[in-house]
Amino acid sequence: MSRSSAETGLSLEALADAADRANRLQRVTDRLAEALTPQQVLDAILTEGLRAAEARAGAIGIVSEDGEWIELLAQRGYKRPILTEWGRFPVSAELPMSHVVRNGEPLFLESLKARNELFPNLEGRGRDGHALAVLPLALEGRILGVIGLSFGDDMVFSEERRKMKITLARQAALALERARLFEAEQAARQRLAFLAEASELLGSSLDYEQTLSRLARLSVRRLADWCSIDMVAADGSIDRLAVAHEDPDKVKWALELQERYPPDPDAPHGVSLVIRTGKPEFLPELPEEMLEEAIGDDDVLREIVEQLGVRSSICVPLNARGRTLGALTLIAAESHPPYTSADLELAIELARRAGTAVDNSRLFQEAEKGANAARALAYVADGVVLIDGSGVVRHWNPAAATITGVPEEEALGRRVHSVLPAWESLVSHVPLVGPDEALARPVTVPIVLQGRELWVSASGVDFGEGTVYALRDVTDEHALEKTRSDFVATASHELRTPLAAVYGAVRTLRREDIELREEDRLAFLEIIEDESVRLTQLVDQILLAGQLDANAVQIDLEPCDPVQIASGVLESASLHLPDGISLRVESNGVGAILCDANKLRQVLVNLVDNAVKYSPKGGEVEIRVDSEDGECQIEVADQGLGIPSSERERIFDKFYRLDPQQSGGVGGSGLGLYICRELVERMNGHLDVDSEPGKGSRFTVALPASG
Amino acid sequence: MLCRVNLTAAGIEVLEADNGRDALELIRRELPDLVLLDVMMPDLDGWEVARRLAADPKTREIPIVFLTARAGEADRRLGEQLGGVGYVVKPFDPVRIGDLVEEVLTRIEQGEREALRRGILDDMLGSP
Repeated sequence: MSRSSAETGLSLEALADAADRANRLQRVTDRLAEALTPQQVLDAILTEGLRAAEARAGAIGIVSEDGEWIELLAQRGYKRPILTEWGRFPVSAELPMSHVVRNGEPLFLESLKARNELFPNLEGRGRDGHALAVLPLALEGRILGVIGLSFGDDMVFSEERRKMKITLARQAALALERARLFEAEQAARQRLAFLAEASELLGSSLDYEQTLSRLARLSVRRLADWCSIDMVAADGSIDRLAVAHEDPDKVKWALELQERYPPDPDAPHGVSLVIRTGKPEFLPELPEEMLEEAIGDDDVLREIVEQLGVRSSICVPLNARGRTLGALTLIAAESHPPYTSADLELAIELARRAGTAVDNSRLFQEAEKGANAARALAYVADGVVLIDGSGVVRHWNPAAATITGVPEEEALGRRVHSVLPAWESLVSHVPLVGPDEALARPVTVPIVLQGRELWVSASGVDFGEGTVYALRDVTDEHALEKTRSDFVATASHELRTPLAAVYGAVRTLRREDIELREEDRLAFLEIIEDESVRLTQLVDQILLAGQLDANAVQIDLEPCDPVQIASGVLESASLHLPDGISLRVESNGVGAILCDANKLRQVLVNLVDNAVKYSPKGGEVEIRVDSEDGECQIEVADQGLGIPSSERERIFDKFYRLDPQQSGGVGGSGLGLYICRELVERMNGHLDVDSEPGKGSRFTVALPASG
Repeated sequence: MLCRVNLTAAGIEVLEADNGRDALELIRRELPDLVLLDVMMPDLDGWEVARRLAADPKTREIPIVFLTARAGEADRRLGEQLGGVGYVVKPFDPVRIGDLVEEVLTRIEQGEREALRRGILDDMLGSP
């Protein structure tokens, strides 16, 4: 061992020194290996590292992200507060640390004199130390930072000492990078966890306003001191949806502030700019001049801004499907560190997810609105048809399907003209109005659909992208209306005929220029009498029909003898019977029935009158009274014209006349059978008809037996 | 009967029928100068009688005046289409029926048949 030392020219002392350095370096290496965070790395370097390097004091600076600055992060052993004095200085400065960062090479200055020769600008400053070793924290050609070591005396840096310090710096750089990566990975993990939590929140409800307010509160705990969310309203104005801060009083204050200083939509920065451009605005440090510009001469606002203590801000757009729906603003103030590009990326991702959630929620609401409208239309009695600009059916509700006979699935997506060939003739009569004009006036149009003639009331609104038509099947109403107008015409004919006879007879009787024969004079008086009776009956029928409609007819049910009533009716009828008609009544030992005798008499008079009227060639009119199963049946049968089967039910409709043109010469109000059936039903019975055209008709009144 | 008494008083010879079928037969047999035709009649109504008279060259030229309770415009148009030269709505004054018949016959003689036909929408005898 000693021989070998002698051979290499090294003293035993030097060997011991070298072993000692190696030990100290090993301790540094061990400490650095244990350090997980950049702060722990800095601690390790400034304790074990300083000791290993035999330095009195040391400081570590880190190069900023943009490579322009050196930030002093930690120091040990200096008497002066150099972190405050030198906190941040440019890489371009004429300073030992800047020099090393620029050149990437270690700098060993063995005395103050040597330092001042190289950096004359430092003459007279930093008398704390003598010798100085400045070492780059370099990794794969990148300079992460720099270590400065100060020594108590001037010092000769031997090759071993230099190597040892360079090794120390290299290990420190490795440890620092590893710690940074670890920290970055931790931060990324936290960001992912935050994003996951935020996504869960965004997906938790379709009420996006509530969700975004909760997101703002969540962001305040993790990402910012302040978080606000603004949305673009339908009219393009900007509405503040949420403001969050840990302190509720501050939130209140911020909302008041918002009232006093509403956002200027044309402002060249902030939310307005982001919403206008759809691009993020990132201010890692809030430039003084921007604050100054925003504050102007407003002292109150200045105080407010100072209270806010804004250091750094991120404003990101809530974008979805190419549109900007709003903006998310994060502000670092009193507690949150200034934002980095990693924070910006996180904010962009958060806003992207929030934008998608808002969009989805709005789409869902629209879809739901559409679905509600469709549900409502499904129950509307009017047919609703939507035709787009190219004539394709886009909506066809169940009522439209019922009216047209074309099911929805056959109509949707097809051209309306191929769905319904009659469409053109229908809508050609419908005047279209615009969506903002007065209500569309429906027109009633007849169309033939699948062989049926329908009357359809239709109206249309042209809303630019298409036309919506409302259709109503008014066939029944139209038929009723026609029946009504036919009745007015019929009633007027019916009234005119007896009136003409009365008037004509009176005018003739009063003639003085001619001598009337006695028999003619008597005949005229008889005409006046008969026609007056006919007029009275007609007016009575019209009134009775009205009372039946108003449910104002009094019915007094009591036991009656149906045979007696039928015989009485025939007896009266026989008094004014036309030639060729004979009457008879048949009965089969029938007991009492429960009815209103006057009303039953009225019914039978009417049925017998009809039987006589519709037997123009004469024949027998028979009333047959029978009983069966506790029911009494009174049949009035004739051998007259008969009734076609298609008309047998309709003859009981109000105002309906078998022969509205009265071409058969048979007059009537069209109310007789309606009144008969109504009266019989009010007496708990029913009235039916059986007939063979050309051979006669048989009307049957069925009424319950008494007791 | 009302018409018969008043027409006879005006010196006009009157033939009467109770229904459309008898009326058609009577007109074809007697070829009267003018027909006063009720519309609502048993068997054949007045419209049908007019249609058949117009279809027969023998009776085509006989002027027809409708006497009817049907006051609607559509009915008057039908009367016009069926070749009627007059349309009298009930109730009317039968005392003036003789004058009406004379006037119609005179105007037809003067070649005003078309003018009468076109004027069918006007009431020929005022209502009371």
